[in-house]
This record gives sequence, structure tokens and C-alpha cells, in this order.
Amino acid sequence: MKSRDQEYRELFMAEALEYYDAMSRHLSELERNPQDTEALNELFRLMHNLKANARAMGFVDMGEVAHKMETLFGQIRGQERTFTGSLVQLTFGAVDTLGNMIRAVGAGQESADAHVLLDNLDRLIRGEEPVQAAPEQTTEEADADAGRKLELSDLVYIPVKKLDNLLNLVGELVIDRDRILTLAAELGNAALQTTAQHLFRISDDLQYSVMDVRLVGAGVLLNKFPRVVRDVAAAENKQVELTLAGQDVQIDRNVLQLITDALLHIVRNGVSHGLEDAATRVAAGKPAVGQLRISALTERDDVLIQIQDDGRGIDTEAVRQKAIRKGVITAEAAALLDEEGVWMLLFEAGFSMAEKITDISGRGVGLDVVKLAIDSLGGQLRVSSELGKGTMFTLVLPTSIAVKGALLVELDARAYAVPLLHTDTVLALHADEIFAVGGLLMTRVQEENVPLVPLRQLLYVEGDEPLPRATRADLPADDTLHQVLVVSYNNRRLGLIVDRFLRQQNIVVKPLSKPLDTIDLFGGVTLLGSGQLCLVLDVPALTRLFLTKRP
Amino acid sequence: MNKRILIVDDSFYMRTMLKNMLTDAGYDVVGEAANGQQALEMAVATTPDLITLDVILPDNTGLDVLKGIRQQQPDAKVVMCSAVGQETIVNEAIENGALAYIVKPFSEERVLEIVGGALQGDGPRA
Amino acid sequence: MADSSAAPGSRRAAPVAPEAVVQLIVFRLGDEDYGIRIEQVKEVTVTPEVVKMPKTPPFIKGIANLRGDIIAIVDLEERFQLRPAGRPVPDFSYTLAVEAADYTLGLMVREVPRPLTIPVSLIEPAPEFVQDSGQRDKYLEGIAKLPDSEGVIIVLDMAKLLTPSEIMRLPGRVEPPAAKADEAPNAPTPPEKP
Repeated sequence: MKSRDQEYRELFMAEALEYYDAMSRHLSELERNPQDTEALNELFRLMHNLKANARAMGFVDMGEVAHKMETLFGQIRGQERTFTGSLVQLTFGAVDTLGNMIRAVGAGQESADAHVLLDNLDRLIRGEEPVQAAPEQTTEEADADAGRKLELSDLVYIPVKKLDNLLNLVGELVIDRDRILTLAAELGNAALQTTAQHLFRISDDLQYSVMDVRLVGAGVLLNKFPRVVRDVAAAENKQVELTLAGQDVQIDRNVLQLITDALLHIVRNGVSHGLEDAATRVAAGKPAVGQLRISALTERDDVLIQIQDDGRGIDTEAVRQKAIRKGVITAEAAALLDEEGVWMLLFEAGFSMAEKITDISGRGVGLDVVKLAIDSLGGQLRVSSELGKGTMFTLVLPTSIAVKGALLVELDARAYAVPLLHTDTVLALHADEIFAVGGLLMTRVQEENVPLVPLRQLLYVEGDEPLPRATRADLPADDTLHQVLVVSYNNRRLGLIVDRFLRQQNIVVKPLSKPLDTIDLFGGVTLLGSGQLCLVLDVPALTRLFLTKRP
Repeated sequence: MNKRILIVDDSFYMRTMLKNMLTDAGYDVVGEAANGQQALEMAVATTPDLITLDVILPDNTGLDVLKGIRQQQPDAKVVMCSAVGQETIVNEAIENGALAYIVKPFSEERVLEIVGGALQGDGPRA
Repeated sequence: MADSSAAPGSRRAAPVAPEAVVQLIVFRLGDEDYGIRIEQVKEVTVTPEVVKMPKTPPFIKGIANLRGDIIAIVDLEERFQLRPAGRPVPDFSYTLAVEAADYTLGLMVREVPRPLTIPVSLIEPAPEFVQDSGQRDKYLEGIAKLPDSEGVIIVLDMAKLLTPSEIMRLPGRVEPPAAKADEAPNAPTPPEKP
């Protein structure tokens, strides 16, 4: 993980540069048309945001300039003054100064002193004339200015969200591509097939390129652990030497993000349960200082993260007995498990090896979060251990994953995920906002009639017969609000009536395996944080089903 | 169950910072909205326990959004986020049912204190 | 999990005689004993939480998360119409994870399955007249008559049962109910791994 400070700095820069560009644009618009209230409102808002963000980052001068500019635009908006005269020139100058300040932050430099500008802005706010209407520039400075404006940075700041969105779109493209390939093969048109093949290669390259952009070195996460290990070792009164390896191994930032907690748990567990204290180690003929090694390596398409200690190893029989005692598994089933099967019980919910609750590993959550995180990524977890010699945990992770934004809705106490790509809007409708036309329930959304259908009917009514004709009489007579998720596909909107909305969440979609992959209503399945399975609805298929079954 | 919070702010930077602060403190940030329209939709969709609402937004002022949310859900708990010098708007927001306000730039302790207080049903405060 | 773990000691139990033996996992369906060759069984576990899946035949109980694999859980008693009338689906059951060529399927059974080693010669091809239990006989490898009147074990051939179109087929119906089988090759590929 990048440090928070670094992350904030990058976000700040990305947004500040956007703001700067927009300010310059709106300022020109306002100069052309001083009555342009939209430009004025935007300038006010952008100054307000830049002020707040700059102050939060501790950039005092930038915050001050933006603050005074906000005040000025506030006065113009309040019609206390007009966008004319010396004010115009000074605000252009001030926006340039803001741009310089932002670029200086990006380059890690100090920005020039701004007190002359600040004083002049104060004068304008008080209704006085600025002392030097335009700070005079030497010719060289003006040339330097002109030259600088043509230089564009080789780096752009991209919020991860935008990349996620891009990858989602590529994902959709790939699905359509595969359909086109199949159709081309069915039609047997040679030219179409050649084009489809070309499309195949290009979209493949595109997909890899987009995924490549999101790869970071595993070090951004691993480098956090010296501090973690030191703290846990100190609290547990143990001596630990940590070695790291493979910080350069490339992995998707989102994968790292999703396993951060899991890795934290394994490492804490390794120090507090895996490694013995110095006295015990010496008594066992081991060096007093315990060894802990965290390494990342690439194996085919996967990235392995291994956590290895030279501690006491796992006592298989003790784990087996404890699992039975804790009700994690029945005695019969436990008897069938081999050594490795028993070790995996460590990661079951309800199992926690420590008998005494410590600060470090007894936080009410156990190693089961590790399994949940890995499962949700479609990864694997391996354990190997030798009594008295040590333990190694291996996380097998995909190099890259597609994270989709989704809205979770509830139906009959079950969560379903709808990809945000296909969600349009959500509505809470009173019965009188719903009307019936031709056996269909409808409502008005932005000047358009949108059909409504209970999701329950689409999912659970069997057979190919049309749905029953709906009338308003079907709606409950009380004044409960009807929760409607409007989805859209091919510019066609459809309102799905659900029980309630749960939340927006990023999900990793796993494809359904055979034989259920023939049911096209579901784009896949995802594991929620609780370990609960959640079906992902396929909006195109739902829309098609509705069209064939509409009464 | 963790308290669920919806963040409304047009700055991605500001949302991220708030989200980190709240998530670290054990709240669930159930959604983020960047403008008034999104805010109204997300408030319905996510039924949060609390909404943090920026006073200045691209399409509506925060005040209009506050009124819209309170109309949809009269019991919604809303905390305004403002900067110094916006006391008039803030006062109007409090009159329109906002529980408290946080002044930008904010410190983590302040945010958590105010959010915690608002969730426990304290009256208007800053 | 290793095969041997499900049948501890079975290797030692193998007779010295060169006679070929077969290891089975034996479980009850209705009031009969059924067996599957152990190499077709991946794992025996307590049935995890099963999520109901719309648009599937009723004998598909839903999907479950088995160590990160999302698998379909099938109730063979219902599939073969073996459940005596009035006996409900148990709250607590075991699942046999069985492996087909390219996917895993969970078979839900009510009692804990047990390993058993028998000589191959005990398995006799199924008699033609066993035609009364849905389509069960189509998937039989044979019937093992245990010595000393210890009953019979109906040995299922998973390879035959586990083709996707067979598993989705309702008893007594020829057409797959999902009617989308022709679309299977077009199933969207996940964008994660091209």
C-alpha cells in the first residue's frame, strides 16, 4: 500500500490540476460573458474545493489565494461588484499563480512568495484598487511563462476508480466480442470472421494493457510489515528477525488492497502463536531470535505470497481436538481429515487457536477472514508445517482481477448484486406514482414511461408463458413505498421492484461453474464480506426475459 | 452492526479523506455521492444512519439537497461540511434539520466527535 | 484432500490375493445404500450454507461455497425420486464433492458416508428390470452384493451422471428445463482471465 499521505497527495494533485484547467476555462468564459452565472458558480465552487483541499494538505498560501478568490467570486455572485476592470486582470493572474503553486507541489518544490497577490486580493475585497494592477513582468519571465505553458507532464494522475471503470468496460467489450465471434462462425461469412478475429486480438491486447496499468510492486504492501512485526513482537515479548523478498513482483493494486487484512492477520498470528519466546527457543536448541520471512514470487499467472516462520509448527492433533470441541466439525468428519485438511480448520469461522485473548490476535476476528478474502479473489491458501520446525502459509493470488461496482438489493432476505454499469436510478414510489397500461405497471422517470416488474416474478415464475397481467389492484393498499431499481440496457429502461436496497459495493465476480453456467440470468456469483454467496444479476438477460414474457 | 454513513462531497480528495477517517473508526461508508442528484438517489438507495453533506455542490446547493433528503426521509440524520465564513448557510441548514456541522479543513478527532455525537442524537452543535 | 484420508487403513485391508479391489464411498439414499468409487470423490464435508438458485430444477438445492469453489448442490433422493413420502429434507446433512471432467458437484446425503473396500468381482452389472426409479439405472455401474447377507450397494457411475445436460434433466423429462443448453458455448467468458 502506498502511505495514506502519498495517496492523499496524489489525489490532491489530480484534482487540483483538474480544478486549475476548469478555472482557466470558466474564467475565459466569464471574460467573454460577465453574465455567465454558470461559469461564475463553477468558479466559486472550484475555489471553495481547492481552498478546503489545500488547507487539509497544509498548503497555506494556496488555501489563502483560493479563499480570497472564493470571497471575490462570492461578492460578484451576490452582485456586490461586477467582473470588470482591474479585477479581471488580477483574477487571471491569481489563477496562474494557483497553477504554479499546484505544479510546484507536484515537482516537490517550494512555491514563490504570494504576499503581493494576497495583499492585492484583500484590497479588491475591501473595494479598493490593487496597488499594482498587473505585477510587472520582465521579458524573460514572460518568455519563461509562455514556454512553461507548452510543457505537459509525461505523467498523468488517474484515480483507481477511473481505471476500474475502464476495466469494467473492457470486460463488457470482451463479452460482446465473444458473441460476435460465435455469430460470425455461425453465419460462415469469411470477411466477417476475419474482422472478428482482428477484433479478438485487439480487445485482448486492450484488456492486458488496461490490467497492466494497475500493476504495482508487492513491496508497497510488504514494506509495511517491519513496523507491524516490531510492534507485535514488542507486545508479545519476543525476538523476531523479519526478512522480505520479492518486493518487485508485480500485482494488481486491488488484489493487494483486498488481502491487506488477511496478510496482517497471518503475520500477527505467526509472531504471537507461531514463534516461541526466547527462553522456549533456547531450551529447544534453537537460536533465541525467531525468523519470519515474507516473500512474493510469480508462478505462472499467479502471484504467491509466502509467510514462513521457524517456530513451533502446528500440533495437528491439538487442532483436530479443538475443532471438535469448538463445534467447527463433527468428530466423524474430523476423523476423515488428513493432516493438511486439519490445518485448514484453522481458517474456519469459530476456530481461534489462542486460549488466552491477547491484544494482538484476540480481536474477535480470527484467521477465517484470511479464507474469506482469498475466496473472494478466487485464490487459494496452502499450509505446510512441521512440528518443532516451523510453518509456512502460502497465498496463491491472481495477478489481476476485475472489480465491479455493484448495487446490492434484497429480495426474500437474500442479497443480489446488480452491476452499476447497468443501473440507471433508484426510486421509492408511492402507489399513486404507479399506473397500469396494457397489463404492465409503469411509472414516469424523467419524461419517460418505464415499465415496472417485480424482480421476484422474473426470477421465480417458471415456464415460458407471459407474466400475469398486472393492475394497480396488485399493489398493496397501504402506503408502503415501492423500492424500484431502474436498470438500463440498450437504452431500454426497466424498473425492478425489490424488497429493499442494501448498499453500493465493489465486488469480484466469479463465473458460475457447470452445470449452472447455462442459466444466463446470472452473470456470476460473488462472495460478500460475511462469506455469504450473492448472485450477480445479468441485466441484458433480465431485460430479454422481460421482453419475451411481458403480458 | 456498524453505523452506515453516506458521504456527499464533490471533491474526490475530500471524500477519500472522510471515508478513510470514518472507516478507520469502524463506520461503514455505504456510498459516496459527488452531486445533489446522486446524493438524493443514494440516500434512498442506501438508507444510511447518517449523511455528511458538503454545503457547496455542483448542481444544487447543499441546502437544497438537505431539504430534498429531509423531505424523502424526515428522520435522516445529516451533518453539514462547510468552510469558515459560511455561517449563514450553516445556520440555515441547522434550521432545516441538519444536526451539526464540521468545518473544513477538519481534524480526525473533530470529525469523529461530531459524527459520533450526531449518531447518538445530540442536538445541533459544531 | 488425499483419497487415502477418506478411507483410513483401507490399503492394509487389501487382501494378499491378487484379486482386484475397489474402494467405495457408501451413503444412503432413501432406504438403499449407494456407492461411488473413491477416486471420483474429492471431499466429504458437512453441507455448507446453500443459496437457492432461481431457474433450476427442484432437485438442485442451490449453490454453496466449498473452499472457494462455488458448486451446485444436488439432492439425489429427489433426483431419483427415492425420498419416502413425508420425509423432509434434513436440516443437517453431508455433502460429497464429486469431480466431473471439468467441474465439481456436491451430492447432498443425510448420513455420514463411510469408506468400504470390496473385491471388484462383487459388482454385477445392473439387471435390466431395475427400471422403476426414474432414470437412476442409466447411471449405474452395477450392484454389489455384500457377503454374509449384509445387503447390496448400488454403485453409481459418476462420469455418466455428471454431464451438465444429464444433471439438469428432470426425472421423466427429456428436454432440459433451462432450454438454454444450446447457448452454453456462448456463455460469456469472465473478463478476469482472457
